[in-house]
Amino acid sequence: MASVEWIKTFFFAKTAPLITPSHFRGFPHLTGKECTHCFQCMMICPAPGAIEVIRTEKPGEWKPVIHLGHCIRCGLCVEICPELVLDSGRVHTKNAQDGTYMQFQFHITVNPVTCMGCGICSVACPVNKEIDPQLAAKGTSTSDEVIMRVYKGINTVFHEEKCTGCKTCEEQCPNRSVMVARVLEPLQITEEP
Amino acid sequence: MTLLQSVKNAVRQRSIHVCYVDTGSCNGCDIEVLACLSPRYDLEQYGIYVHNNPREADVLLVIGGVTPQWEDKLKMIWDKMPEPKVAVAIGNCPISGCVYNRPDSLTRPPAKSYIPIAAEVPGCPPRPTEIIQAILSVAPLIFKDWEIRK
Ligand code: SF4
Ligand code: SF4
Ligand code: SF4
Ligand code: SF4
Repeated sequence: MASVEWIKTFFFAKTAPLITPSHFRGFPHLTGKECTHCFQCMMICPAPGAIEVIRTEKPGEWKPVIHLGHCIRCGLCVEICPELVLDSGRVHTKNAQDGTYMQFQFHITVNPVTCMGCGICSVACPVNKEIDPQLAAKGTSTSDEVIMRVYKGINTVFHEEKCTGCKTCEEQCPNRSVMVARVLEPLQITEEP
Repeated sequence: MTLLQSVKNAVRQRSIHVCYVDTGSCNGCDIEVLACLSPRYDLEQYGIYVHNNPREADVLLVIGGVTPQWEDKLKMIWDKMPEPKVAVAIGNCPISGCVYNRPDSLTRPPAKSYIPIAAEVPGCPPRPTEIIQAILSVAPLIFKDWEIRK
């Protein structure tokens, strides 16, 4: 009998494949909370094509869809979603414990050497058009409230904080002179002494 | 089923030889494949051996987003492998190009447009457990009764 046991342990796998612990960050899954389709999860996602917020069959209901093969399990969409629609591992538990949260904004850089001051970027910007109706209608602007406009022959950034990161300007610039970068900021709620 | 076939089935289940090829990854998936060999995951207890020689491999692990240099060479490696053979895409890169799949980048994913891929393991990188599970689940499907089915 002992030899049968020995043969069994010799020839067959000795340990079952390890199970992934539940606190490991997996692919984000839905928590069932209502999605307000603010698209913040899509904006923050670093992997191309990993997350899409789509309209479901039910009228007025939206939900994020994670695409395997694209998602890198970074968990940023889980952290940024204001409605806690997504969850993964213990991201929310840890955030609640430590009082940590995530914020992002966009940083616009214009290359002064290659920018020829054509203004295509500022005219294409959808936020600019909303701020300054004159720019939307005529293509020229004198407003200081816009995100950016051509000033003294070069594209000048005035209000970076209004940028929504759509990158329309980047796509439209013929010289690739304007660049929009997302700046992520992990923050922690600190108690006042 | 002949006796010879059942012997072949039994042996093939316990002797899976793996060759991995990095077609331009960040090295993350390579390290996870390497981790499979470590005592914690111990790949060899399942009868999987890493040789890195396509001529004696049964399973080809494709890692990386297929750079232009690899477009023809991936097929060359695949052709060198003896039948029966199976290719498994490890990580997001061979599936979609992952974070490198941007305009003007030097990646030409997916890998399945060059060689037939039987299974894909998503993740950036996938965990060693997921890689082992994928090999264990796909290899028997391809190798069992191969002579009868071909
Ligand atoms: S999942 Fe969250 S972040 Fe994404 S669109 Fe819905 S509410 Fe906004
Ligand atoms: S986990 Fe990261 S990569 Fe995956 S969908 Fe969310 S933000 Fe994108
Ligand atoms: S990214 Fe979009 S919103 Fe921001 S400046 Fe460019 S066009 Fe305007
Ligand atoms: S950044 Fe590009 S699109 Fe904008 S003004 Fe300069 S050259 Fe024109």
